[in-house]
Formats: sequence, C-alpha cells, structure tokens
Amino acid sequence: MKWFNAPIRIVGWPTLLLVLSFAFVAIFGSVVSPYDPAAQNLMQAMQPFSPEHWLGTDNLGRDTLSRLIAGAQTTLIGVTSILLLAGTVGMILGTLAGYFGGWLDEIVMRLCDFGFSVPSLFVALAIVGVFGPSYGNMILALAIAWVPIYARLTRGVVAAAASQPYIESLRVLGASPARIIFRHLIPVALGQVLVYASADAGLLALAIANLSFLGLGVQPPQAEWGQMLVSAMPYIQEAPRLVILPGLALTILVVGFNLLGERIALAKNPRPMARRKLSLRRAIFKQEMSA
Amino acid sequence: MTTFSRRSLLAGSAALGATLGLNLSTLPALAEDGSMTLRLPLIRASGNLDPQRYVGIFAVQDMVFDPLVHYGPGGQIEPGLAETWEVAPDDTGITFHLRPGVTFTDGEVWDATSMVWNLERWLPKEDYRWMQIANNYKDIEVIDPMTVALHFTKPTPTALTELSYVRPVRFLSPKAVDAEGIYSAPVGTGPWMVEKDGPAGTDLVPNPGYWGTRPAIDRVSLVVIPDGLSRISSIMSGEIDAAGGKFIAPVSPQDATTLKANGVTVVTETGTDTMILGFNPRNDLFRDAHMREAFNLLIDREGIARVVMKGYAKATMNLYPEVIAHAGTRFDVPARDVERAKALLEEAGWIGEGTRSKDGKPLNVELVISEDAVPGSRALGEVLQAGFLEAGIGLKLRNVDHAARHGDIPQFKYDLSLFVTNGAPYDPYNTIGLMFLSTIAPGTDGKIYEDTALDPLILAALAASEADRPAAFQAVFDWLHANWAIAPLFHGDRIWAHGDRIKSFAIPATEYEMPLKSLSL
Repeated sequence: MKWFNAPIRIVGWPTLLLVLSFAFVAIFGSVVSPYDPAAQNLMQAMQPFSPEHWLGTDNLGRDTLSRLIAGAQTTLIGVTSILLLAGTVGMILGTLAGYFGGWLDEIVMRLCDFGFSVPSLFVALAIVGVFGPSYGNMILALAIAWVPIYARLTRGVVAAAASQPYIESLRVLGASPARIIFRHLIPVALGQVLVYASADAGLLALAIANLSFLGLGVQPPQAEWGQMLVSAMPYIQEAPRLVILPGLALTILVVGFNLLGERIALAKNPRPMARRKLSLRRAIFKQEMSA
Repeated sequence: MTTFSRRSLLAGSAALGATLGLNLSTLPALAEDGSMTLRLPLIRASGNLDPQRYVGIFAVQDMVFDPLVHYGPGGQIEPGLAETWEVAPDDTGITFHLRPGVTFTDGEVWDATSMVWNLERWLPKEDYRWMQIANNYKDIEVIDPMTVALHFTKPTPTALTELSYVRPVRFLSPKAVDAEGIYSAPVGTGPWMVEKDGPAGTDLVPNPGYWGTRPAIDRVSLVVIPDGLSRISSIMSGEIDAAGGKFIAPVSPQDATTLKANGVTVVTETGTDTMILGFNPRNDLFRDAHMREAFNLLIDREGIARVVMKGYAKATMNLYPEVIAHAGTRFDVPARDVERAKALLEEAGWIGEGTRSKDGKPLNVELVISEDAVPGSRALGEVLQAGFLEAGIGLKLRNVDHAARHGDIPQFKYDLSLFVTNGAPYDPYNTIGLMFLSTIAPGTDGKIYEDTALDPLILAALAASEADRPAAFQAVFDWLHANWAIAPLFHGDRIWAHGDRIKSFAIPATEYEMPLKSLSL
C-alpha cells in the first residue's frame, strides 16, 4: 500500500478524493450517466428534482445530472489536452532556449514576452474569433495562449540545470546535446512543469467555461458547464438550480485542482521538523555533548 | 496629529460606497419624479433621432415626430398631419389636405413648404428605394399652401401604409438642421418633446401645442437598462412602470413567465410577425423540394410554441399571422413525421445509418443563430438540431453576433437561418417585396427564399388594386406552401408587462411605438 499512501501523504485524502471523483466521472461518464445528455424531451422540460431525474431537467427536457457528467468529461478532456499540448510545445521551446541560449533564446523569450503582455484569455478569444468557435479550436486556442507560460518556466529550470557541474562533465565526456536534453534536463524540468500544471488546471477549467459561456467554445449539443450556465441564465428566477449546479461543479473542480497544485508545491519545499522529532534530536545532541 | 481609527475608516468607506451607489444608480431622474411621471426602460440609448437616419430608437422617434397618416389597430389608416386625402383611382397618386393650425415645437409652421422640404430630403434618393413610394416616385405637386399631391410612375397601393412608417417618413422642423442641412435637434409636431437626452436615458415632456389629444402623463422617463434580467428586477421592485415591445425593452416568454409568477401584470396580443426557418435558395441542397419538405416535417412546431416559447406563440405554416391584412387562408400545421421525412430524404438520394450521405458526402448543414438579432434562437436551434438528428441530418449551430449575421445572410453564407418577417406596419408588402423578390438585391436581413417563378406572383400582389389584392397575395402564399419553400415556425405573441401604478394599458398597434395613447397612471 506504499504506492497508495505516498500520494495521500502528499496531497491529502480530501483533495485526492475530489480530483479522483472528477477523473472517474470523466473516464466512466458514459457508463454512469443515467440518460443521453443531448436527448431532449420537451414534455419533460423544467422538471424539479425527482426519482426519475435526480437533479431535474433543463428548459429542453434534458437530464441535468447527465449533462453535468458530460460537462465534467468535456472539461477534463479539454484541460488535459490543453496541458499536454501547451506543456509539450512549451517544454520543447523552453528546453532548446535554455540549453542553447544565444539568438534562439532571444527569439523564444521575446515571443514569450509578447505572449505575456496580452492576457491569455484575450489571445484565445482572438484565435477562436479567426478560426471560428468549436471545441477543437478552443483547445488549440487555449493551448497556444498557454505555451509561453510553460516555455518560460522550462527555460528557467533548464538554464539553471545546464550550468551545473554534472552537465558540464557530461559535455566534456562527449555526451550529445540530445542525450543531455532528453536524459538529464527534461526530467528535471518535467517535475516543475507538472507541479505548475496541476495548479494551472483549475484556471484552464475556468477558461474553458468562460469561452463556452461567451459562445466561443463548446457548441451544442455537446454539454459543458459554462454553456449550461449561459443557457440557464434566463431561467435563474424560475429554476435557480439550473445555474447553481454547473456553477457549483465548476467551483468544486477549480478548488480541487488548486488544492492539488498547492499541496504538491508545498510537498517539494523543505518542511520544518515535527516537534517530537526535534525533541529527540535535541536529546541526542545533548547526550553527545555531555559525552 | 490626526489618526484614522478602524471605525472611522469603516464609516468613511460605507459613506463613500453609499455616495457612489447613489451616483451610479441607473435611475437618477426618478428621484425627482412626480406621481404622473411614467418610467419605462429602453434596451439602449435613444441615439440620433434624425427621422431620415436608421439609428435612433423607433419608439422615441414616434413620440416626437408625426406622420402624414397613422397605422391604427388592425392596419386601419388614420389621419395624422394629413387631415384627409384622396387616392387616385389607378393608385398612381395621392392628394393630401394638410391639418391646419399645426406647428413644430420650435414655432415653425406645418404646411406644404415644410412637407415638401421634408419629403425632398429622402424621397428622390437612391438609399430609400426599398420603399415602393420612393421606388415609384415621380414628383410632388403643391396645389395650395395646405394641399400637396404625390405622384408615382406606376400604381403604388402601398403608399398610405408606407407613409405611416416611423422612418424615414416622419416630419422634422426645417429649422432643426444646420447650415449644411444636417439634422441638429429632435424637433417635430408630435405629442412629446425631448427635454433631456443622454447615454443613460431620455426624458420627454408633453408638447403644449400638440394638435391632438394632450397626453395624460406629465413626463416620460426612459431609462437605459440593456440587460433583460435587470429589467425584470426593476419592474418587480417598482423602479420602472412597464416593459415590452420588441425594439423598446423586450420581455421574452421566459421573462413573462417569471413576472407573472411574481404578480406582475402581463399583457399579450397576437404578434404581427412570423419566425421562419429559411433555406438558402442558392444552395443546391435546397433546390430539391423533397429536402425542403423533409426538413419541414422534422420540426415539432407545437412543441416549440409550447416549451421554447412558453405558450406565448402560435405554431404556424403561414407566412403572416391573421392580424396582417391579406394574410390569406390558414394552412394546416403538419404534425412531426420522422418516417415520412426519412422516406423523402431517401428519395432525394440521402441514405445510410447515422448521418446520411450522398455520393460519399455527409448530410451536414449549418444553421446560423444569433441571440442578438433573433432572441431565443439558441434554444430554438438546439430543438431543431435534435429533431433533424433523428432523421440522420447533422445540424451545426453557428452562433454569430448581430453585425456578423448582417454580413453573412445577405451574401448567402449559410445553409439554414432563422428569419423574422417585418410585421406591422410593414407587412404584407415589405417582407414579400424585400425578402422574396429575386430582382431586388438582398438587404441586411437577406432573402428568406427566392425563385424566378415566384417573382411575377409577388409583383402582381404588390401592384394589385384593392379588389384584387386578397387573391393576388393568396397566390403567393399558395406557391410558397405548395413548394415547401419556407418553414414557418410560429407567430410570437407581443408581450408587455406593467406594475400596479398603471391603471389602464393597451398594447399599441405596432412594435415601433410606446403604449402611451391609452395609458393612465
């Protein structure tokens, strides 16, 4: 059970439970979903909580629980795809810039400066505006907007690692740049990137919901929480649950990701010694001194 | 030395917050209102009220500027600045006897000179040819200072109706322009005068010299409240007295349901327009009548009227609702028939499981929706999407803003689109003339359908004498119906809601005017 205890020790069981629950829903959503999330039944529109529809139905008679589950799938697949795309491209650019330096570093970093000077969501809005709103274009747009973050992060880690004596030794021993990058530098950067990505996932989930809320992301009939929110706005007085439920799901997911990122980041920092351990150490020190 | 305690800081912050809150209130004018001030919302600022420009809010222009003739309930033409008129037997001219003793609010006299000055600002110009009176314009004849005749190059039976429109036909004081003749102030002969106008709203007071019945209200405060939910809250809290009108402060069917549930009076009337699903007539897919019929049969019109429109609509297969003149006989609304639709698609060569295909090309179409231009189109699009999918048609919804829609639709960059007929006072002439005739270039609202075989029928209807008009219009409607050329969906109700301060209320004749004539507080 050591493999299981380690993550619990690092992130804590409430956070792990939260994130794993969403991951479970994302993976097995199609199996656990009680209804087809896109199936309309106009005769059943705006039904309250009931044994047939646990969380009621929306304005077009679609099962709210099924749509929330499908929304979790959409969001988590989107977040994972964006992180994979932005992380991979960002890491490649950052590693090359950090290791080789010179003009390549200048070009990559100035592009990153440009990327940082415009808010990521604005960049995504512009890209979706040009290519048209769709789930795929939204993922691409957010990935492009997020690349500078990972490029700069990786570049910093790689540049610091590349000046370490062991990397110099590898160079002297004749290791190729590819070997140094893939065997020694990328593993170092990957740890940092993963820590950052776990905290960034919450922000991305919000970005996906934002774009879909504006009609620029996920398109009907695919369910997504931001889109569910905007569709439910006219019904906020009649059926507040239609707004509250997707909002709540989004909030819980973002809190979960933020807690996960924070706990992982804290786990990497040196921690103060526990009081009992400290007393023990002092006692040993005293014994040694008196001896 | 002066020190700030936590208490004084909190007190100061609260005072600052309260001050800002008061200053930022959207309803500053209401503090000074008397009991006879009517408070109404506007979806946006009144804007430039020049009657010859298509910028300002119609209803505010209608309050300030009078027409020669008014469009009354049921399309009845009533006297306005023209007291009486005679129409030439062949509909090629109208002689107007102007109302004596009328002045603009700046003192300028209403007579033949001011009438001709106004008409010459727009009638002979190219930009206004969308109206039959401008298209067929020949000349203006001043018979005497209070009698003017309009002559047309060909029969123009639409003339009186067109002269009741808000713009560009309303009359501005000849003094309300600058040295270059450009509009400078909203000065008309109408029942109201603009007292204060700005981005936050417009205040109007009665015209003391108005020729007609003087308004029973001391002041109308129009407050800009663009957000629908805020308008609902304002009416429920009593900050505003009424809301409604498609171009004033729309109340959606869902808003009406919410307001009714909260004890606000909701007044409805059969709408004068029709929501239509239009097929791109220049798309090969829809040249085949089988396809148009199949799409028509996949629509659950009754379900849409009942659920999406919350019962505030009537399912239809007609181009115009019955309240429009010469709207024709009512066609039966077909029940949704998925099996018949599938058979039609197969006859047209679209076969296969899942999304159908023909010659390896999948049957995927795109519906342009725009919440800005056609409120409720998103939910409507989703219902259509689910309905079409059942027969193996993939429907993608393309959500665009108002400007993008006005760019794409006239260029036929769509497969399917939602259209709304123009309603009163424009119809029955305007929609079939501008949105169906293939000989006229598409305007910003595009073409609902076009076919060279339909053109002669439309032209005959537009030029028909009063006696022949019902049959001529019916021929147009019969052709559209027989060819499944369009997919009419519903006639949406006209909805207004008002609070307890309003004692009597009646919905005006058109969506372009305020409900002020019969309103009392």
